[in-house]
This record gives sequence, C-alpha cells and structure tokens, in this order.
Amino acid sequence: MTWEPPSPVHMVEVHLDAWIREFGPRTREQAEARTVEELLEVLEVRYPRLRFKLRDETGKLRRYVRVFVDGEDVGREQGLQAPISGARTVDILHSIAGG
Amino acid sequence: MAEKKIRVLLGTRKGAYVAESDLKRRTWKVLPVSNAGREVYHVVADPRHPGHLYAAVNDWMFGPMVHRSEDGGKHWKEIGTPLMPSSKERNPQMNLDGGEVQRPKHAITNLWHVEPGHPDQPNTLFLGADPHKLFRSDDLGRSWEPVSSINEHPTKKDWAPGAGGPCMHTILIDPRDARRMYVGMSAAGTFRTDDGGETWRAANRGVETPFLPTRFPEVGQCVHHVVLDAEDPTTAYRQDHGGMYVSHDGMESWKRIGKFFDDDFGFAVASARTLPGRAFFIPLEGRSRVTAQGGLQVFEWNDPKKKWRALMSPKAFPGHYGVHREGMATDGLAPAGIYVGTTTGQLIVSADAGKSWRQVPFQFPGIHSVQVANPPL
Repeated sequence: MTWEPPSPVHMVEVHLDAWIREFGPRTREQAEARTVEELLEVLEVRYPRLRFKLRDETGKLRRYVRVFVDGEDVGREQGLQAPISGARTVDILHSIAGG
Repeated sequence: MAEKKIRVLLGTRKGAYVAESDLKRRTWKVLPVSNAGREVYHVVADPRHPGHLYAAVNDWMFGPMVHRSEDGGKHWKEIGTPLMPSSKERNPQMNLDGGEVQRPKHAITNLWHVEPGHPDQPNTLFLGADPHKLFRSDDLGRSWEPVSSINEHPTKKDWAPGAGGPCMHTILIDPRDARRMYVGMSAAGTFRTDDGGETWRAANRGVETPFLPTRFPEVGQCVHHVVLDAEDPTTAYRQDHGGMYVSHDGMESWKRIGKFFDDDFGFAVASARTLPGRAFFIPLEGRSRVTAQGGLQVFEWNDPKKKWRALMSPKAFPGHYGVHREGMATDGLAPAGIYVGTTTGQLIVSADAGKSWRQVPFQFPGIHSVQVANPPL
C-alpha cells in the first residue's frame, strides 16, 4: 500500500442552481477545498440552512442533486471524494425529474 | 373583535393552500400557494397559538422540511426538521466544532403528520415520519427528539411498509389526558400509551389483516386513519386496509362496522366536534382505490343507533375519485362543515352536516390532506 499525499487545498468557483439560493448561497461562490465533500462542508458552514438540503443525514447526495467538476458528473456514492484540485469550476445543479 | 374566518388548509402534491371563508362557508377565497412545487403531506393549525400553522413538506430535491406560518398561512418559514436518530446532530444547526459525525444508515424519507400537543403542553409538537418514526419537540419545533419507546418497539420486527412506505401517519392525543396518546402506522397498526410515551402497547385486537396468513395478529395491520369521537375520546373510528371499525374502550378492542358495504376499503375517516357519536367514511373500491359506485360518496356512521346513512348521492359528483387518508376533515361549527379533498384536486364542501355539497371553484393539485382552522368561537 502506497502513501499518497492529500490533495492540496484549492480555490474553486462554484456555480449553484438558482433554486439553492433559497437557503442562502449566491449563484456563484468561491470556496477552498480538496474534495467535493469538503466543498459542500464549506458551503454548509457558510450557509447553515443549506445543511441536509444537498446531502441527507447519511452524508449522501440527495437523489436529484448533481455535482459536476469541470463539467464531469462526479456520480452519487464515491463522487463526494472526487478531488477538485486543479479544477476551475464546480456546478451544483438539480437533475431532470418531476411531473 | 376576533376575526370570524374559517380556514381550510390543504397539503397537495404541489404546495400548501389556504382557502378562507366567513362562517356561512358559501364563498371561498384561495390564498397564494406556499411551498409551490413541493409535496406537502400535511398542513395543520395549532389551536393553542391562534394563527400558527405547521406544514410537513417533502421537497423532491432538498428533502423533508417542517415549515411554520404565524399569520394564518400568508408567510411561512422553515423550522427544525428531525433527522434519523443515530445522528448526533439532530438539531439542524451547523456544528462548528469540527467533531466527528456519527451518521445513520438511512435518512428520513418523508414527513407525514404534525400534531400539536395537548393544551397543557403549549410548546409540544409531535411529528410522524417515514420510516416508522415518531418525534417530539418541546420547543415548538426548534429541536426534535425521537420517541424511542415506540420507534424501537419490541414488535417492530413484524412491521412492514404500506404502499405509501413505512409511515407514521396518525397521532392522536386524548383531550382529557395528555399522557394518553395513540399512533397509527402502515403496516404496523395502532399503538397506545397511558404514560406520556414511556411505554406503548399494540391496540389492534379485532382488526383483520386480509393480506397476511394470520387473520388477527397483534401487529401488522395496515391502519389507514383513525379519529377520536368528539365527545367521548375512548371511542375511536378507524379506516383500515381491512375494513371500517369502531372501538369503545380506548382501542383495546375493535368491532368491524363496514360489512354494510360490498367493500369497506378506504382511507379517510373524520368526526365532528358538533356531531358526537357520528363518523364519516368514504368507501373506495379496494382494488382500484377510487370510488366504486359511479361517483363520490360520503357515508355517516351513527354509532348510538349503529346505522349507516349516505350523505351524498353518487350522481352529485359522478366519476372515479380517490381520497387520501387525511383527505377529509370537519370544522367545529354548527351545523358541521365537512370538507373532502380528492387526489385529483377537487375540494368539495358541505356547510350543513352533509345535506348539501358544492365544489370550491378552484382546481388544486392532487390533495393529500385537508384540515380546518376554526376561528375563536
């Protein structure tokens, strides 16, 4: 097993779905984080009403929340550990659903 | 002088609605929708705090939330929302100390029912959730604690989900004794406590389970809804998956009263403050879960006389209607108002205890729940 140094903390521009503004964030935020999970934690500290809205209490992304790092969908489970070092943008959007 | 308006509160598939009328209940004004686009399973008035309403909101993107209005439904604000019990952070405030989070394995799926506490406990609320969870707040919804004595009841291994999920949907408090409560869950049945929720016992004796190999099990009944009699809270009326029932001993035992019908399936049941000894049921066809006799029908059960009476001709509102478990409510006026909300968004009102009916001329989204906020009388 090889040891890997942690990803460096990285400043990234976050684009948020307009619906998320109800809980405090602006549609564009800047945040420092190493992974998607850390980024969400930073946003939740900054905007406490956002807590449990994008992730449920198990820590998983809610079913209809999608996160893209530089345009790539990070997926649902392991995706929260996706590194964002080197990325320019993270988009947090709602998926197509409803009726 | 106190405002003499009556408000009908609707939880719908696409938001919460409040319809206002004067005490004649002939013309209705529908206030602007709140929580537009969100599933609202239940809206209820808190009679201990006039003007206060609570809504159980289930947003398809952001998950469950509890909202409160303090001005009769004009403005709403999110308050505390309970989380699954194994989390150390039940209060939705952010924990800034960076401590380790113990996460539950499952999340709360939906919030089903908010019940204001007994008048002797003015800051207490109860909340029923999926999966099979009862929560209690003693600070008007700022924080919540799970009621483990029922949530982890010894019979839990024999509970199952109903078609709507494993939901805690009925919470009843004896108006004469804050320590006696009842809850109903699908498909677990009804449970009773006499000590303020410290201990609970199953309260399903006599209720059939046509969907289980055992005909009369202790638990596992798919109770759909239960109400207490307006005058005698030891009398309860129950619409179960397995028929219509009455209890005269605080749910110690149940007697089936629905054999009068070809099919006594249904979801909704209501009682009225000014009509003690009466209960209202809406029989549905058990397979299709819509009205089966060619139109909507409301029946009155006269408990002292042990008789059924149709309050509505099937020709009045022809068609195949669905009505959810909390889709019927009454007001506290005389003559009693009866309100039926359908799964296709019609609100049908009788202002004379069922003698005549008219539809409120507003197309709502599919209605989950109907409740009434009475003016001070």
